Amino acid sequence: MIRQTEVDGVPTIIAPTPGPMRAGLAFRVGRADETLARGGITHLVEHLALHRHGLTDYHFNGATGAVVTHFYTRGSEDDVVSFLTGVCEGLTDLPLERLETEKQILRTEENSRTPGVTEQLPLWRYGARGFGLLSYPEWGLSELTPDDVKGWVDTWFTRENAVLWIAGEDVPGGLRLRLPGGVRRPLPAPSSALPVAPAYFHGPDNVVVFDAVVGRRTAASLFTGVLERELFRALRQEGGFSYTVGTSYDPRGDGFATITAVADALPEKQGATLGGFIDVLAKLRVGRLEQADLNAARTKAEEPLSHPEAAAAGLPSYAVNLLTGYPNKTHDELRAELHAVDLQDLHEVAVEAMGSALLMVPERHSADWAGFTAAPTSSEQAVHGQGYRSLEDDRVSLVVGAEGVSIVTPHAPATVRFDRCAANLAWPDGGRRLIGDDGITVRIEPTLYAVAPAALAAIDAAVPAAVTVPMPARRPEAVPRPTPQSAAQPAKGRRLEQALMIVLLVLAGIVACLAGLTTAGVASDAETSSDGVTWALVGFVWFFAALLALPAALIARHRRQRAAGTR
Amino acid sequence: MILRVPPPLPPPNFDPAAASPELARLRNAVAARDWPTISTVFARVDQVTDATLYNSAVWIVAEQTGMEPFLEDLAARETPSTLARTLLACRLIEIGWGIRSNARAPHVSREQFAEFHEYLRRAERILIDVTALQPENLAAWSLRLTTARGLELGQAEARRRYDRAAAHDPNNLPAQRQLLQQLCPKWSGSWEEMHAFANGCMLNAPEGALNAVLVAEGHLERWLDLGRAEGAKYLNQPQVQQELVAAATRSVLHPSFQPRYGWVLAHSTFAMVFSLAGRHQHAAVHFRALGNLASESPWTYLGDPAQAFQRHRAEALAKGAAA
Repeated sequence: MIRQTEVDGVPTIIAPTPGPMRAGLAFRVGRADETLARGGITHLVEHLALHRHGLTDYHFNGATGAVVTHFYTRGSEDDVVSFLTGVCEGLTDLPLERLETEKQILRTEENSRTPGVTEQLPLWRYGARGFGLLSYPEWGLSELTPDDVKGWVDTWFTRENAVLWIAGEDVPGGLRLRLPGGVRRPLPAPSSALPVAPAYFHGPDNVVVFDAVVGRRTAASLFTGVLERELFRALRQEGGFSYTVGTSYDPRGDGFATITAVADALPEKQGATLGGFIDVLAKLRVGRLEQADLNAARTKAEEPLSHPEAAAAGLPSYAVNLLTGYPNKTHDELRAELHAVDLQDLHEVAVEAMGSALLMVPERHSADWAGFTAAPTSSEQAVHGQGYRSLEDDRVSLVVGAEGVSIVTPHAPATVRFDRCAANLAWPDGGRRLIGDDGITVRIEPTLYAVAPAALAAIDAAVPAAVTVPMPARRPEAVPRPTPQSAAQPAKGRRLEQALMIVLLVLAGIVACLAGLTTAGVASDAETSSDGVTWALVGFVWFFAALLALPAALIARHRRQRAAGTR
Repeated sequence: MILRVPPPLPPPNFDPAAASPELARLRNAVAARDWPTISTVFARVDQVTDATLYNSAVWIVAEQTGMEPFLEDLAARETPSTLARTLLACRLIEIGWGIRSNARAPHVSREQFAEFHEYLRRAERILIDVTALQPENLAAWSLRLTTARGLELGQAEARRRYDRAAAHDPNNLPAQRQLLQQLCPKWSGSWEEMHAFANGCMLNAPEGALNAVLVAEGHLERWLDLGRAEGAKYLNQPQVQQELVAAATRSVLHPSFQPRYGWVLAHSTFAMVFSLAGRHQHAAVHFRALGNLASESPWTYLGDPAQAFQRHRAEALAKGAAA
């Protein structure tokens, strides 16, 4: 049983455990509360707060999530007291002399991290703000000052915005949580970058990922289990298209939950993985659900509830519920809910899920044939202003206006308005990357556009200072150089095309020279100039030269026609 | 000696309903937009034992112009009929493919492709629901093989769809004919895979079944690809002839063969492939079995199908009998 008390004004929940004591201090703050341009501040605070524990011998950890930041430990009562006291001391008296070192450590952590296959989805669903920030690097670190960090702690790491949980007999003697006062912070309102759902976008070519946002409820968590069973059966057991199939059900904190499903794809089976995945979603949407699957998902969900450590194991999520204002339920209530769910409830979840579905499909595939709409990769409109032609492609230009910047292509523009700019990444060499809050990106490279330095200065001045992120100098080879083709095409094909174009042009040149010489020769020779056959021969040589030049011209045009992606 | 000149044979009857009173009844019901009769005809045809008949029935409805509003209405009802939805999807495929035409891809305009794909996407979305509700609906899987091909969803997805159909009927000839097309190089398959598939279908089906006609269809695809002169040489190779004779022997000429619906198409195909190879004696057997019945496919490959059929039949019966 879980009982609730209070330690120094911090709500505290306790459940018994036969093992060593465990405890966690959770705060209602996370990545979704940050901004893109100052992203990473919560993670930095977490690291600074734990710095003084670096060399202790008991087990501890910190985790920065989307809406909750958690400090954990396990050990003797004394260890727990020392850890929690230390965390609170660390928060109220941050080791700011460590600021630059911890930033360095976080950047290293970022670089050595393997990106997860589901990482791209938040940005496509939410844009470059709120929950969408989970897709982005912690770009804000470099600009964070000691005052920023202190201000962040004062706002978020307060006793009113915290919950303590303890797996053990009671609050250990002598525990004090000296935290500043503040208020319980509400959850960020979810933004949207998806005008229509179900939608799809292109990801890497070895995986299909689905996610959907539905009302948080027991039926939705059971539906996720059923979805996994269906995908496993269709894609692995029957088809053999996938090796790994997995799902997860994650409450967002605000009464909604995200259902995520992933299936990897063998290179030659991508189309079948996608098709089979879509058919599984359709099967559930039309309500052809199997009772056996529901039973199996229920059994799996019930398992942890009957574990002797169930109450203690449930403490972290119980704490998150307290922080986000979601009602906690007893295990008996949860068990009753699991048993009340029927196939009709699952069908309702399936229909709701499809109404918000987002699908990441392998690169060369689409899902428009199955009723999924392509998620936006461009903007509705371009801004008005001064145009600067691309040095790579005549039909592409950069437009710098009073209200924002656009890349204008023959297809669709990409626009970032200054008042909707989430970040302006600024390199010392003049390179800029402006990211709109809808996730649309405009890259400005002075090496690729004939853009005046004054225009760059005007952009920097127009973008709010709070969203500008100075980036470290790039290595010279990292600065793009103009090439007469887009980067979208595989390098091998491009080189082959280029080589072919050069060979054809050289041949055409040689033949044209020959044609010129023959024409001159024939024209200057009075005796043969009236001879139709000779002229026909001259004509043929010219024709041959043109014939060689034509494919080269076609290749050149084709290369110009390719446009770059914008997200 | 009196030379007896046989009277000229009448032109062939290409009507798919000629060999089936059910289809004739269906066509009348379709003309009268008589849904109860339409659904009764379909209810009486088994999708497994009479796969080819069921498939022909679907296309008889789909080829009727102006059927869309009637079927859309049925498909939009509170408890929509999966049959009406399948028929509507087939009608949309028929319209779409009509817009695309059967020309090779370079001769189809960008606008034609866009409209063609839009019709196929509409059909596909309907069929996704039908197969989700009825995974055993073989006609819907066959149509989804057609949409997969037109929408260029790739070999792996086509094979998956075929496997879904095969899970319910491993010898479903309409689905096999669709996958055979997909396996041809023109739809980014390969001749090796295509022939292997046709052969596998023949061997998997019991003796006397129609499935061996796929072997002939496969060789006809190569003939079509090579052009008439080279194609005739190809068909005349001993190995190819051996395979064709074996296929005919195992199917329509097998003692256990029962002339179920689809026999006309099978004999027509064998008659044509032997005619093109100049094997009149073999061709004559199939022409005789056909009597006055024939299927338009594959004779449409030769221009006017009636003329082509009559010319080759006359030649086969004359030379084939004399040989």
